[in-house]
Amino acid sequence: MNYPYWAAIALLMLGLYTMIAQANYFKKFIGMTIFQSAIILFFLLTSVKRDATLPVVATPGTPSAAMMNPLPHALMLTAIVVAVATAGVAFAILVRLYATYGSLEEGVIAARVTAEPHEP
Amino acid sequence: MSELVLAGLLVLLGALALVAVSAADLLIAAIALGAYGFALALVWAALGAPDVSFTEAVVGAGATTVFFLAALLRTSRRRSNVPNPQRLVALGAVLAVGLVLLVATRQLPLWGDVGAPPSTHVSPRYLERTLEETLTPNAVTAVVADYRSYDTLIETLVIFTGGLAGWLLLARPR
Amino acid sequence: MHRQLAILPVLVPLVAALIQPILALASPAAAWPIAVAAAAVTTVLATIALAAVLTGGTIRYPLGGWEPPWGIEVVLDPLSGFTVMVLAAVATASLLAGGPQARAYGAREPIYYALALIVLTGLIGMVVSGDLFNVFVFLELSSIASYALVGSGGGRALAAAFRYVILGTMGASFYLLGVGFLYAVTGTLNMADLAARVPDVSGSSLYLGGVVLIAIGLALKMGLFPLHWWLPDVYTYAPSPVASLLAPIATKAAAYMVARILLYVLRPVEAVGLPVGTILAWAGGLSILFGGILAIRQTDARRLLAYSSVGQVGYIGVGLGLANDAALVGAYLHILNHALLKAALFIAVGATALHVGFRTGGLGRGMPVTATVAVVAGLSAVGVPPAGGFFSKWYLLQGTLEARQPLLTVVILLGSLLAVAYMYRLTETVWRGQSAVPRVTPEAQPAVLISLVVLAFAIVAAGVGNTAIVSHVLTAAVPSAR
Repeated sequence: MNYPYWAAIALLMLGLYTMIAQANYFKKFIGMTIFQSAIILFFLLTSVKRDATLPVVATPGTPSAAMMNPLPHALMLTAIVVAVATAGVAFAILVRLYATYGSLEEGVIAARVTAEPHEP
Repeated sequence: MSELVLAGLLVLLGALALVAVSAADLLIAAIALGAYGFALALVWAALGAPDVSFTEAVVGAGATTVFFLAALLRTSRRRSNVPNPQRLVALGAVLAVGLVLLVATRQLPLWGDVGAPPSTHVSPRYLERTLEETLTPNAVTAVVADYRSYDTLIETLVIFTGGLAGWLLLARPR
Repeated sequence: MHRQLAILPVLVPLVAALIQPILALASPAAAWPIAVAAAAVTTVLATIALAAVLTGGTIRYPLGGWEPPWGIEVVLDPLSGFTVMVLAAVATASLLAGGPQARAYGAREPIYYALALIVLTGLIGMVVSGDLFNVFVFLELSSIASYALVGSGGGRALAAAFRYVILGTMGASFYLLGVGFLYAVTGTLNMADLAARVPDVSGSSLYLGGVVLIAIGLALKMGLFPLHWWLPDVYTYAPSPVASLLAPIATKAAAYMVARILLYVLRPVEAVGLPVGTILAWAGGLSILFGGILAIRQTDARRLLAYSSVGQVGYIGVGLGLANDAALVGAYLHILNHALLKAALFIAVGATALHVGFRTGGLGRGMPVTATVAVVAGLSAVGVPPAGGFFSKWYLLQGTLEARQPLLTVVILLGSLLAVAYMYRLTETVWRGQSAVPRVTPEAQPAVLISLVVLAFAIVAAGVGNTAIVSHVLTAAVPSAR
């Protein structure tokens, strides 16, 4: 049964909903993190082989079917790193946003933005 | 790896995700997200991916939680409970996406199938020839540092960019 | 050396970006010249590379010597070579023109240039890459740098930047998931290998899911209606040098990716008759109308240009959707023309004032050269010969006729009418109108003027020389040429 894939889809939907529906920016970030982790879960599930061990060649000549697929592992290492760099930039923006507007709620910031004078 | 263990971990994952998403106090949400990251690391280990597990634990659970807490310290723990009018649009969009995904994944090879395309095309060479071509027993290391090292170069550049971004956005002008 | 031409346009801006923080400590004044020089060198290399490809055939460079699909390869063919040249050339003009205003960053000026060069590295790397996952990494590289650059504007730019982070990451993640689906069904990430396997897997739901997800992700990055909502605020509030850099090139690189992946690698229309092309063409048509109508209603010059961008990207969408030779030539030509005209307009508006509300129009009355360049760019946007924009629209019109889509013909013509309205409004109000305040902006600084004049010449040259461009480069770039 492919139930782990359904778990990935469920997490993806939860993350996506949170990213769009939550007004608080930190919550949007949480949604983004869950969303990205669901995609990583998907990739890693494609790398699994039944009854296989780690993709480390302990004894030369081990058949490849006895070891997990290393390619998605490598790709997901990169994806995790990219996600944390995005998180870093997102937090930097949030800190500056709070310092400027005193809030991190979408509606409140929108109101304060329209209220500020904006003339060339 | 027991399927029961994996199933249990996935349930834990779901529970932590729900806590992080719905908590009213952002500090609780941040800690829950950190716990979620740790649970993810366990899931990756259960799936036979120790390298990804270490990285998730250090970077995903560790570094991200630290950044989150640091950001919370400089902002606010509170969040308002005003319901967002975009909720219904969001629900619609998410259900649509979910439908697309469920339909598309109908024809996924059975999980763990040794004959599935990812396991038979391209990747066997990494496992079979890593010792002779790269002298590295760990095939993931070989892929990251040798076969696909161009990706790793750009990945390190991404981290560098994150640092530059922090410098540009947060440095106090003298 | 010949094969290295494929990778050098990626490496030059990359190394230049790494040098910048050192300059921050040692000699901040050198940041701007080095950045412009790096972009200029990249342009020269890209041109040489394109010439090499046109005479000698496609260049493939496997990194590390590992043959694909086990290693990552960089592929330079007429289309990618052409796009890299456009990106590098326009970036050079933007970096040059952005110099005077980038001084506002003070001690952090080199960091600004480092991030700008990283954006360029990311976009070029994405365009020349022959591996689907590698495209994702470069895409995120340029996106992360862009988020920071936009956010550096403070105030409203921060809110725009955070929305950009969320939506941009959503788009890139959809793209990545699509790649995951394709990987699950083929086992490979290399574009050429994948293209060869498409006939075997095109019946699979995973292939369809992959196509849809990748298309959605890239369309979001391209700014195609209805996935464009990040664009107006970002282009309006980002600091002027940042907007002049991002607006002309970021969406074009995404448009190239749409073309490359849907028309050359996945080919869903050919394989299973999916109406992807029709949807793309109609999204493009709606973009043209939506962008044009909203542009007319704007009172802020930069926001007008932002909606104009949504509209102009729609033309490229129409061309890629119709996918016959004439339409594709029009789309590719428009990648060049729109990059040139948008750069010129953003630079011109930026030089006149940060945000020029029409309530205080006439600020540009003392800037004859800037005004003239803006008018030339406006003519290109409308599609008046000899400006380049006319010719890309001409090919697109031919494409709609060939595909028997008279409705799209009408939409393209309507788009030009809308463009007349908003371009006239922009140029008249900003540079010729009555000023409500006594001040008038003096003519732009030399660096900005040089950029503007060169861009104006390029816009006209692209028009006058369009037959040469089409016959020597673009005809070799369309899928049917292989």
